[in-house]
Amino acid sequence: MNSKSRYAWAYLMIAPTLIGTLVFWSWPAVYSIYLGFLKSENFGLVSHWVGLANYERLFKDAEFWQNLRNTMFYVVLFVPATIVLSTLFAVLLNAKIRGRSIYRVIYFLPQVTMAAAAAMVWVIIFAQDYGLLNSVLGTHIAWISDKRFAMYALVMVGVWGSIGFNMLLILAGLQGIPRPLYEAAEIDGAAGFRKFRSITLPLLTPTLFFTSIVLVIGATQIFDSIYLIIGKTNVALPAVRSLVYAYYQNSFIYYDQNYGAAIVNILLLINLILTGIQFLLQKKWVVYD
Amino acid sequence: MNIRKKWGMAAAGALLASSLALAGCDQSNDGGKAADSEPAGSNQKSVTISYAIWDKNQQPAMEAIAKAFTGQHPNIEVKIDAIPWGEYWTKMSAAAPAGTLPDVFWMHGGQFIKYASGQFLAPITDKVQAGEIDLNNYASNLGSIYTMDGQNYGIPKDFDTIGLAYNKELFDQAGIAYPNDTWDYAKLAEVAGQLSQPDKGIYGFGAKMDTQAGYWNDMLANGGHILNADMTKSGYDEPASIEALKARYQMILDKASPTHQQMTDTDSVEMFKSGKLAMIFDGSWDNGNLASSDIIKGKYDWAPLPKGKAGRGNIINGLGNVMSAKGKHKEESWQFLKFLGSKEAAEITAQMGAAIPAFQGTQDAWVKSKPDLNLQVFIDQAADATPYPSGSKSYPVWFAKEGEIMSQAWGGAISIEEGAKKVAEMMNQAIADAK
Repeated sequence: MNSKSRYAWAYLMIAPTLIGTLVFWSWPAVYSIYLGFLKSENFGLVSHWVGLANYERLFKDAEFWQNLRNTMFYVVLFVPATIVLSTLFAVLLNAKIRGRSIYRVIYFLPQVTMAAAAAMVWVIIFAQDYGLLNSVLGTHIAWISDKRFAMYALVMVGVWGSIGFNMLLILAGLQGIPRPLYEAAEIDGAAGFRKFRSITLPLLTPTLFFTSIVLVIGATQIFDSIYLIIGKTNVALPAVRSLVYAYYQNSFIYYDQNYGAAIVNILLLINLILTGIQFLLQKKWVVYD
Repeated sequence: MNIRKKWGMAAAGALLASSLALAGCDQSNDGGKAADSEPAGSNQKSVTISYAIWDKNQQPAMEAIAKAFTGQHPNIEVKIDAIPWGEYWTKMSAAAPAGTLPDVFWMHGGQFIKYASGQFLAPITDKVQAGEIDLNNYASNLGSIYTMDGQNYGIPKDFDTIGLAYNKELFDQAGIAYPNDTWDYAKLAEVAGQLSQPDKGIYGFGAKMDTQAGYWNDMLANGGHILNADMTKSGYDEPASIEALKARYQMILDKASPTHQQMTDTDSVEMFKSGKLAMIFDGSWDNGNLASSDIIKGKYDWAPLPKGKAGRGNIINGLGNVMSAKGKHKEESWQFLKFLGSKEAAEITAQMGAAIPAFQGTQDAWVKSKPDLNLQVFIDQAADATPYPSGSKSYPVWFAKEGEIMSQAWGGAISIEEGAKKVAEMMNQAIADAK
């Protein structure tokens, strides 16, 4: 077989995935950039080129800056909390304890629970009058309709829903750490937390790095929990509205796809920058052997 | 990892991010596909057409109509798809440019102009001119709602007005006389206060943040407006409108009504259905929903809305049936559309108590569909009701934003007056933008 036909075969094999990715992922992203420069009418069937007008409007829109702040606030709370708790649970569940598969299943369950069903349960938990959270804490907080607390409620739901999967990733990372390292450390007299700090944590950094990249990108796109738990008539909505929620509102409720596209294009740019920064910073803390 | 790979991954990650955000639009409907497996009886192909509606409570009646239709046209099956109101127009706005609108679907006056001017609806003007259907058959000039630039696009389905629903048991317990046509808004507020027992979770009135079945009626009754007569200016910032909005909100402050938050958690209609609210405003379309509650069945009735200083305010709206311009089975769809506009379909609608049919002379059957209820109030109030303020290109935009601003006012984040003025400003902007 000559090399040309070998390449042809290789491309044929990856064609289903490649075409799917191009059509459903890459093309919409490119098209969305194009849409940001247009003003469309009639459900997008008629469009004029307006240059940067949508972005000018966006930068003058106080609501956009508030949404950006909300989104970033969520990222700052959600990502560290998820990484710390996922690592904690992964380390605990990596130990030889009775029934650890059962615990693993329990912690993974949120991952396979339908978001809408989980949201309904959370709404009941957060209820001001007879909610579980308030009766446990002995408080009377309107968790999801008081603008001071709504974001924390969303972070709780987000972390709860993300621990399972990230724990699994970190668990895989933990199991990739060679046993002899621990044995050597034990001979040198290291125990407990010292082993965790000097062996586990450094060797886990590649996994943690990957987790944080994916978590940041995911967190900037928070939408479902706002839509399902907060809801559009909630007085706290302006305090938690994310960029993607604003995108949804503009594109599908106000029928302004162009303004919506401008919002997600800015989000794309932010994600490029955030991911770029993380790649630059990895030299400082990620250990590759 | 070399640097190219890293940036490649970063870029891919970010692309993934934005395309995830874009993946939200789905297409639900390609019901236009023919089930062309076996010719039914004659050499006519058997065909399935899709019919989209938004009210689940009316689904049984719509199914009965579809069944009657298939009885007359054995080769045409109708597949009914009930999409909740909250998602209906989002789905339709994605389906319209994609050419996948349902063959026949419910149309709302507020949305009609957008769909008709985009040429997404099949005009039926030639059928009307050929006398296949007579738009004079429908009450209150409803046939004119679905007309644009001299072209006809829709056939009136029903009309609706608003009434005051009350829980007789709660009135009896408090020894207060039932609401009647002498009531004014002061009386409503007074009785609502007397009936409230907040410690038991029972309230006199659901002073909900709502438009058509809410404060629009109050604003009109108080001499205010939603829009001015030629629909070029918002009426929300008129003093009479603001006064009416404040009066409604005052009932929450007086604990005569549940709070906005309570009514966000549990809709006031649901509270009424569970016997926790003595009175609500509700539309005639919702009677089936109220009647479905075992808790208040036989214990509630209807009265006209209270009077304000400018008389009785009431919003009348009429739904229509329309067909897609891009449907694959236009002839069959037309047959169904025509049947939906027939007296027979109107009688099914009326007898099953689904909605007040638009067809002249069939309304009595609707009133009699629930003989123990005073449904006549809805028909009586239609006479001097105000048409739903739709029919402009800007309506879908300002209507969507209205709720967001008013929920800030109803939730206490801004004052009612500030909210009303913000809505007016937003509406005027939307009207200017749509020109």
